[in-house]
Amino acid sequence: MPLLRMENITKVFPGVVANDGVSFDLQAGEVHALVGENGAGKTTLMKILYGLYGPDKGGIFINGQETSISGPRNAIDQGIGMVHQHFMLVPVFSVLDNIILGEERESTPKLLQRLYLDKRSLRARIAELMERNHLETDLDRPVRELPVGVQQRVEILKLLFRGAEVLVFDEPTAVLTPQEIEGLSRTFRELTAQGKGIVFISHKLDEVLQVADRITVIRRGKIIETMPREGATKAKIADLMVGKPVLLKVDNPQAEPKEEVLRVEHLTAADDRGAMVLSDLSLAVHAGEIVGIAGVEGNGQTELIRTIAEREKIISGEVYLKGENITSWDVRERREAGIAHIPEDRHRYGLLLSFSLADNMVLGRHHRPPFVGPIGWRKTKAIREFARSTIAAYDIRTPGETTPAHALSGGNQQKVIIAREMSADPILLLASQPTRGVDIGATEFIYKQIVEAKLQGRAVLLVSADLDEILSLSDRVCVMYKGKIVYEVARDQATKEQIGFYMMGAEHGDDNE
Amino acid sequence: MDVFFEFVVRGLVISSPIAFASLGGVFSEKCGIINIALEGIMLVTTFAIVWGALSTGSFLGGLLFAIIAGVVMAGIHAVVTITFKVDQIVSGVAINLLAVGVGRFLSQNIYGQETQSPFNTFVPPEFLGINIMAWILIPVTALVWFVLFKTKFGLRLRSVGENPEAADTLGINVILMQYSGVLLSGVMCALAATVLFPSQWVTGMTGGRGYIALAAMIFGRWHPVGAVAASLLFGYADTFRVMFERQIPIPAQFVQMLPYVLAVVVLALFVGRAYGPAAVGKPYRKGGE
Ligand SMILES: Nc1ncnc2c1ncn2[C@@H]1O[C@H](COP(=O)(O)OP(=O)(O)OP(=O)(O)O)[C@@H](O)[C@H]1O
Ligand SMILES: [Mg+2]
Repeated sequence: MPLLRMENITKVFPGVVANDGVSFDLQAGEVHALVGENGAGKTTLMKILYGLYGPDKGGIFINGQETSISGPRNAIDQGIGMVHQHFMLVPVFSVLDNIILGEERESTPKLLQRLYLDKRSLRARIAELMERNHLETDLDRPVRELPVGVQQRVEILKLLFRGAEVLVFDEPTAVLTPQEIEGLSRTFRELTAQGKGIVFISHKLDEVLQVADRITVIRRGKIIETMPREGATKAKIADLMVGKPVLLKVDNPQAEPKEEVLRVEHLTAADDRGAMVLSDLSLAVHAGEIVGIAGVEGNGQTELIRTIAEREKIISGEVYLKGENITSWDVRERREAGIAHIPEDRHRYGLLLSFSLADNMVLGRHHRPPFVGPIGWRKTKAIREFARSTIAAYDIRTPGETTPAHALSGGNQQKVIIAREMSADPILLLASQPTRGVDIGATEFIYKQIVEAKLQGRAVLLVSADLDEILSLSDRVCVMYKGKIVYEVARDQATKEQIGFYMMGAEHGDDNE
Repeated sequence: MDVFFEFVVRGLVISSPIAFASLGGVFSEKCGIINIALEGIMLVTTFAIVWGALSTGSFLGGLLFAIIAGVVMAGIHAVVTITFKVDQIVSGVAINLLAVGVGRFLSQNIYGQETQSPFNTFVPPEFLGINIMAWILIPVTALVWFVLFKTKFGLRLRSVGENPEAADTLGINVILMQYSGVLLSGVMCALAATVLFPSQWVTGMTGGRGYIALAAMIFGRWHPVGAVAASLLFGYADTFRVMFERQIPIPAQFVQMLPYVLAVVVLALFVGRAYGPAAVGKPYRKGGE
């Protein structure tokens, strides 16, 4: 008997059938991967399981018993836990407080003791839990000081502490470093060995093939196929997901770099707390080439891109665009001079989530013709027409151009940003984590767009935590570590091992590389 | 009385209403609700304490009235901002304006004059020469600290001010926690009234202490002990003015500005970037957007 069974689940949103008669089950002790394009309905299905949405049709069975789930709290009481892509943690609280929050059970009948938060016994229970699952963490550190991978560990501990038997991970690896991903898959094995069931959603098919026992492909709200890992291949899954063959390879001809477009010199910057985030960094990008910045996240990549895209507070250094010093220019001046920016955090910096797609598509150019008339009124028709044609050109899945941006799936939101930035005809494209959370078909599409930009003679600066992405797109790879470029290599000489080595902070590579 | 001792105890009397109110501010903001209505709530609790004492013939009766008045006024703020999700600043301003009218209206109807009440002799007993309620500040501060940081209730309350969505998914009743925090700030305003001037109510008698209390709360970085310490700083600056005004050869108006100037300077220079609870001021809607 499966641990969990969802039967004939249907969920309709205005204009979209997100789940269309979906049946899905999970055995104890297995990792069941759920894959599909952006907007296929994976997150929706899991949100139904977690009680965030009620299904329009269909039933949920736990250990063979039909049940209904009224909300997240109720879900966890029934043994279902979810690790959200955006962590549900209180950043200023310690790890311990985050784990016990809401679950500080009364153990004694005495009133004062019932009110008092006795952390000692809870701490002991958690310590035991950490040891059993090899999820050691410092319980007294505030969560905001921890790397993402450790924050995720805290989320897992939260679920285990509440006795979860089914653990749902929605794109858990999108923000992790390769080492952290390795740690997570160890945790998966640890948990399944204890008889727990894991649902794993990911766009990275290599990972899926590595950790999953079974794989279910969902396309446009419908289950296409459920297959065991044995015999599954990347190409087969991709084809099922998209409904047509996917190349999985980008045709990326060797660059012919022309004149220098971007040059940064001796950039030095510190963060709020005074810690160095960029130290004496210099870099140049030429027209017609893609420079890839590899590195573990948090080594200054975010700040580097920000100092180029906007006027950031820096201690020293200069930024030049086509030989002109733009260090003191503001964002609008920079954008008008031809800098386009795909930001790493699309929710915070990329989109106005409650605005329509059409408005989002013209952001940055909303104040200029053809989108405004002679005395400044907005030309709604022109905006909508532009949006409609862009939606078609970039294959954005949406009911229409007036849909608010927040109603789109993650990958489609990313496409909106890319469409907007590319259609601005930039001379320099800054792309930060451009395919994070994006499905394989759309990833291929975005890769093509980036390569196309290069072939059109634009300069591209790409930042990614995904080494495969860096290696398949870049003409030149720079490795950033602690605010410096510690290694630079041309594409044809780059090896994954060597780059990974420098990403971890090695001072000198092997001499016999 | 020895001048130094006098300075210490008078300072405590002057500081403690600010300190109680700043604790009220801490309770409210820790659960995510900005409460600039402290000023107005205090104005009503100061009326209620005199009214209650006069009509029941006992100070405790006055305290009871004040607590009820504080909870009712804070309750209005809670309903408006938590249930109806109106902007918290707007609601606070409205309550401050309303409170002026409420005080005058009640005074006119009960005592036949709208700007002041009769004298009340049912005041708290004295301890070491001052109103005992000023001393009560010390155990109350410790209690607030204990409640916020050492109880389950406190943990939940703080979580709601930081990340209500996370708290909600963990089964914490966000709305209940926010109501608790705001209503407790009303109770703190009632305590402020016990020291402020329990022997008579005069319109406008809070004189901006509610706002000073908010400054103290920020200066104290939303921590109860910090907020009380900051309140003492402001209060003692004022005490210094009251006691030595006439000995200082500069115009009284300048000296009277002292606590306010101090508040502004301190906030501008020393607080730097003060981070309050992350979700403060944002109404909580289930399911985002
Ligand atoms: N709250 C909502 N309101 C309206 N439409 C929604 C809502 N949530 C999801 N949708 C729509 O339902 C469909 C399925 O979305 P869902 O988030 O489940 O996709 P997904 O498979 O998780 O995609 P991704 O890989 O991009 O995360 C999409 O077309 C999306 O636009
Ligand atoms: Mg999703």
